[in-house]
Amino acid sequence: MKKFLLVLTLLLSFNPVYAINNLAADNAIQSRIDNVGVRLLNFNKIQKRIVFVYDEEGKKNLIASKSVTKRQVIVYGTAYKSIQTDDELAAMLAREISSAVKSYSGMWGGRLDTIQVVLGSKKFETVADKRAVDYMVKAGYNPLALIVYINKTCPQGRSDKFARHNLTSKRLARIYEYITYKYPQFLQNNSYIDNEYYQNFLLNSVENRKKLEQKIKYGGVGEVEYE
Amino acid sequence: MNKKLFLFLIITLIFIFNSEIVRANNLEYDYSSTEAIPIHLAITSEISTKNPINDGQSVEFRVLNDVNYEGKTIAKQGDIVPAKIATIVTAGMNGFPAEIFIDDFQFPNIKNSQLMGEYNKKGQNRCLWVYPLKWSLTLIPFVGSLTNFIMGGNAKIQPDEMITIYYYPKWK
Repeated sequence: MKKFLLVLTLLLSFNPVYAINNLAADNAIQSRIDNVGVRLLNFNKIQKRIVFVYDEEGKKNLIASKSVTKRQVIVYGTAYKSIQTDDELAAMLAREISSAVKSYSGMWGGRLDTIQVVLGSKKFETVADKRAVDYMVKAGYNPLALIVYINKTCPQGRSDKFARHNLTSKRLARIYEYITYKYPQFLQNNSYIDNEYYQNFLLNSVENRKKLEQKIKYGGVGEVEYE
Repeated sequence: MNKKLFLFLIITLIFIFNSEIVRANNLEYDYSSTEAIPIHLAITSEISTKNPINDGQSVEFRVLNDVNYEGKTIAKQGDIVPAKIATIVTAGMNGFPAEIFIDDFQFPNIKNSQLMGEYNKKGQNRCLWVYPLKWSLTLIPFVGSLTNFIMGGNAKIQPDEMITIYYYPKWK
């Protein structure tokens, strides 16, 4: 009888404790996301309301992210798994913030711009990447973390000719170019030089970086045809 | 022993309370004040997305009127203010307009954190008529896709165009 009572007590007490632990873990993650997200909003003087939500089990909507439809940045558990530093978290949030900000501008309460972001996703993907770099720098984060984050999490497609998204290698090269021109100090005093993920990017972007070097050497303007 | 423990707890609580106050005062920004002074500017030479320009390129603006605050002149008419092209969005297919974002305005007497200063200019948005046209033409096979070749308008900032940014003197 005693044994039965003991087992019963253990069974009854296990679930709530587990639930509380889970809740505490979720709360810690949510707080971390809120802190980094609000820091990005405040330092960039973004006067639009944007909220941050941690969703452990949800999946990203492939057509329209809630950043543009609801001005809500959702961090999914599958994406959060790959985040190691606050810089990388800032990179992820800054990208979504730039889409959310875009959804506020333009006619019909931003609806037209939202449609444009959704339909012209390749173009706005590049814009969101560049704006994310600006947001990160202004909030005191290292923009090279955006390269690390994308290099770690976004797979490489075969071609982007008829795709809705750019090839990841092109995105990375454009971000690198943007940092080279606008924030060269981060490359001169590169704190990511010892980062293995960053070194992996340097390795897989040799050809694209050569093209950028040519552009800089000859004082070129306009877009480089990255691969 | 209990007294010592009690005293230790009290000191700890006071320390935590004080550190919270210090932290609140230590933020690098304070947006409490709503007092804003408009600064009117005009670009010195035209920029357009039609001509290739690079992100991060420097541009210059001219102050159009004297800007005074509490008897002090913050910026004089005719002063040159450097700024940077933050991001360029080139015009896209289906009438997507080009866009120019300008920020990092450098005034000698104003901290950058006291400026609500990003300015953006869009080209003509042709999506308004391109999309209805595209959808109506889709009834004829392949014809709707022809609207893909209609590009959006280029963004242009001309020297006779006044732009306004705001200086918040009481912001940190």
